[in-house]
Amino acid sequence: MRYLLAMICAFSLSCASFTAASDVPAGSVKTFKGMASIVRQGGIVSAKSGEKIFKGDILRTGADGSLGVIFKDDSVLSLGPNSELVIDDFLFSPAEGKLSFVTRMLKGTAAYLSGMIGKLAPQSIRFETPVASVGIRGTRFLAKVEEVKESVK
Amino acid sequence: MKRLGIVFVCGVLLFFLNSCAARQKNLFVLLADPDGKVGQIIVTNQGGSQVVAKPMHATEVKDAKAPPTEPFPMEKSEIDKIFGAALAAQPDPPAHYTLYFRTGSTDLIADSEKLLPEILAMIEARKSTDISIVGHTDRVGTTQQNYRLGLDRAGGVRQILVSKGVDPSIIEVDSHGEDNPLIKTEDEVPEPRNRRVEVTVR
Repeated sequence: MRYLLAMICAFSLSCASFTAASDVPAGSVKTFKGMASIVRQGGIVSAKSGEKIFKGDILRTGADGSLGVIFKDDSVLSLGPNSELVIDDFLFSPAEGKLSFVTRMLKGTAAYLSGMIGKLAPQSIRFETPVASVGIRGTRFLAKVEEVKESVK
Repeated sequence: MKRLGIVFVCGVLLFFLNSCAARQKNLFVLLADPDGKVGQIIVTNQGGSQVVAKPMHATEVKDAKAPPTEPFPMEKSEIDKIFGAALAAQPDPPAHYTLYFRTGSTDLIADSEKLLPEILAMIEARKSTDISIVGHTDRVGTTQQNYRLGLDRAGGVRQILVSKGVDPSIIEVDSHGEDNPLIKTEDEVPEPRNRRVEVTVR
């Protein structure tokens, strides 16, 4: 009996993680050039037009790369070469008032144009970088971030 | 003497290059929106906070503890040099269309039918790989019936696009039923502006 319970627990847990992984997409790739990829759950997917982007994905470009993504709320985000950016959170359910867009830029250059979340709830957008966070009031901006090297102690 | 001169020039050059590189370490630049409106960015860290409110003005941040600098203007050529590739990769914002329907049915009104070629042309022009079609209804009928009707309306539009050659795998269909009206009404009130399908071409 106890064994059965453990089995049920394990099964429902695996189901829970499965639903998290197959979450609704946050957006899709629209433009890409050179080395451009998406790091998802440890694996790497090459960017191609229409490739879905999910919460938790890391967008990455190489020395000759660039990548442009359109999000479900009409936000538009693009990266220049040698760039890396994490989609920490994306929630767009205006009917239920669930709105959130949190990105973390680790290095490189980016261009950002805010969409509906920016109009409906500007305070739920966060654009984090190693040196500062950017609050966005309905707008378009550029960011350049130098990679922070791990300091040797 | 000549050699000393060269060393001096090199030194000055190096200093200049260094200061350039330093200035471009971490930058946040405000641009005008595509429609010309200008918003704001607020750059904050442990050192303080700085609002940038003028287009093509930037604040620079040395590190997480140093306060962001006073906003300063940047030349377009300088912006293009640093951000050219990111700007070139920036996709056009999505195009939106609203199609309206006859009451209780999946039949488009005549004016909306005329919009279809425009939508197809946009899908073609954008080489779109991501289209969403969301159906809505007014509040005549039950919530469940209206969810179904919204889905049927969206499905009908999808069918039209697919029949004109749009790849079905890039289309996402959904219904908000009567829950997401453009115009708020009491229950059971007919409202033509809420009987609609919203098409987003990305």
